[in-house]
Amino acid sequence: MSAPAGPSMISLEQLTKSYPGQVEAAVQSLDLEVPEGEIVVLVGPSGCGKTTTMKMINRIIEPTSGVIRLQGEDVTHSPADQLRRRMGYVIQQIGLFPHLTIEDNVAVVPRLLKWSGDRTRARVDELLDLVGMDPSVYRSRYPKELSGGQRQRIGVARALAADPPVMLMDEPFGAVDPIAREKLQNEFLRLQEELRKTIVFVTHDIDEAIKMGDRIAVLREHSVVAQYDTPERILSDPADAFVAEFIGAGASLKRLGLARVRDYPYADWPVAAISDGPQAALAALDRSDETSLLLLDDQRRPLRWVQRQDLQAAGASLDRAGMAVRAMVEPTATLAGALDAMVSSRTGGVVVVDGRGGFLGTVDMGVIMKAAEDMRAAAQDSARSGGPLMRAASGT
Amino acid sequence: MTAGTLTADSGRPVDPVDPDDPLSRQTAKAGGGARPWFQLLGLPVVLALSLVACLVYVQTAPLDSIEARLLDPGGLLSATLRHLQLVGVSTVVVVALAVPLGILATRPAARRIVPFVVGLGNVAQGVPSLGVLVLFAVLYGIGFWPVIVALVLYAFLPILRNTIVGLQQVDPFVVESARGMGMSSGAVLRRIELPLAVPVILAGVRTAAVINVGTATIATLTNAGGLGDVIYQGITLNRTSAIVVGSVLAGVLALLIDYLGGLLEQALRPQGL
Repeated sequence: MSAPAGPSMISLEQLTKSYPGQVEAAVQSLDLEVPEGEIVVLVGPSGCGKTTTMKMINRIIEPTSGVIRLQGEDVTHSPADQLRRRMGYVIQQIGLFPHLTIEDNVAVVPRLLKWSGDRTRARVDELLDLVGMDPSVYRSRYPKELSGGQRQRIGVARALAADPPVMLMDEPFGAVDPIAREKLQNEFLRLQEELRKTIVFVTHDIDEAIKMGDRIAVLREHSVVAQYDTPERILSDPADAFVAEFIGAGASLKRLGLARVRDYPYADWPVAAISDGPQAALAALDRSDETSLLLLDDQRRPLRWVQRQDLQAAGASLDRAGMAVRAMVEPTATLAGALDAMVSSRTGGVVVVDGRGGFLGTVDMGVIMKAAEDMRAAAQDSARSGGPLMRAASGT
Repeated sequence: MTAGTLTADSGRPVDPVDPDDPLSRQTAKAGGGARPWFQLLGLPVVLALSLVACLVYVQTAPLDSIEARLLDPGGLLSATLRHLQLVGVSTVVVVALAVPLGILATRPAARRIVPFVVGLGNVAQGVPSLGVLVLFAVLYGIGFWPVIVALVLYAFLPILRNTIVGLQQVDPFVVESARGMGMSSGAVLRRIELPLAVPVILAGVRTAAVINVGTATIATLTNAGGLGDVIYQGITLNRTSAIVVGSVLAGVLALLIDYLGGLLEQALRPQGL
């Protein structure tokens, strides 16, 4: 399902970190390739060394042995401060500088790189726009005057300031509430579609990993790679019991979170214009095998679900017949979202509408079952033909 | 999502303004705690009244010849200035020594020596000031500088401890993100840690200066002058009026320095905290 790996932006070779006084290494001989322009998620249980691994990439933690390459260049022993200016760094706690304005926070790296004042100012405004915060309002505010979600956006803007090719993100959305997190994740994915940065993203949440990752490295103790693969293949074909257990129950449901409504054919459902009256609607219903029909207004926006008896009982007007349409999704919604809307509206189908609310089609259980079947088959096919990108030797 | 459209999963741009936007609420002004002018004026007015009362007493009360000599306004003024000089010089010296030592003690390489350094400061402050002063007078003779050395030792701990605490209370994640962005450790210290520690360090300086105003009264014992001259001669010659006037002046000086220190703290506290 995913494109083959491009050239490596970051290569970790036999990377090891051991602390004095500890018998076992925190990170043991890790090999990992991070392809250019992709989000690679390091995911694993607490204490598996994923954060240590990420922090060795910008050498906040110095590796004990092994090699780190950035765009092919060995940076294991190059000056750390210069190296870090080429990598954006976002941590869960954000760490905005409380005594500096938003502008000064975002401008830190450009100023370290000795950009001119004009260029820095223009870049700050551009970035604030990019993360959806009006520069004229927020430029001269202080971090304490922002909400958690806004601080997180500034954290991302600050990391992007000097347009680094690489971003390191350690549970960047971990400290905000679930609703804000969802929003930030979506915004970030939208940004990434434009920016195409190479991103190493650490999380302990497999659902976040599946949502954010182009590739996922599932790590076990001592940062040993249990499986390094696309989300689809990790869900369909976990390398071993550890990965399967880490994914947890509901792999099929999680796969539905990867598929978009627009990628599957809509169910065929009878529709009629509400203004044409009950007779035309009954005729349309008779022509189909379904037991209910969708009424549309003049702009083809879905209004009501009606069944045969609703139509027969209705007088001249259909305005109150049947029940109002409650579950609607856009084509970009995931199948998981469509299923959720379907279940929570207690109807057998969910209506797909375009951005203006116009009717496009419907998704029902049949569509979802078929999609789940296709995805499983496709993932197994690709696993058989290509094999997973990389898989740790079974055992340890 | 009972009614209306389920927002597409990254389909459409999201409203950039959070509902919990604190900007929509009234926020305290940055650098908060700015008090209205009449509160700021309260203490200076009280201090000025005390001084005027002293002055009126000195000018109008029937004084005998000893009192007249002890309470001569010119003499009182020069004793006060001398006292200020002792406090000022010792405070500048102790800041110049204790702040850098406190910074050193919080650097990763030196973290192990912190208990040792703080212990030394504790000992210096634990020794009775009189003892320290006499010891230095014996070692280095009488006069201005031995007193300064004693005052410096005595005021060392508050400044050292506050510098260490001030730097340690800086959010480690703020420091980590600064390092992660490629700031050198020196730049992190200068631009992040010290500004954020300024309020705590200044509080230490203020405490030390106030302590020094009190301790400097014993400078008279090694002939270094100051308001202690007035007080101790009042004691020796049994002139209560001199004791009271000298003490009031020292008290006013201490409160005034504390007050000015407070203003300085407010002025130097970084915005946004």
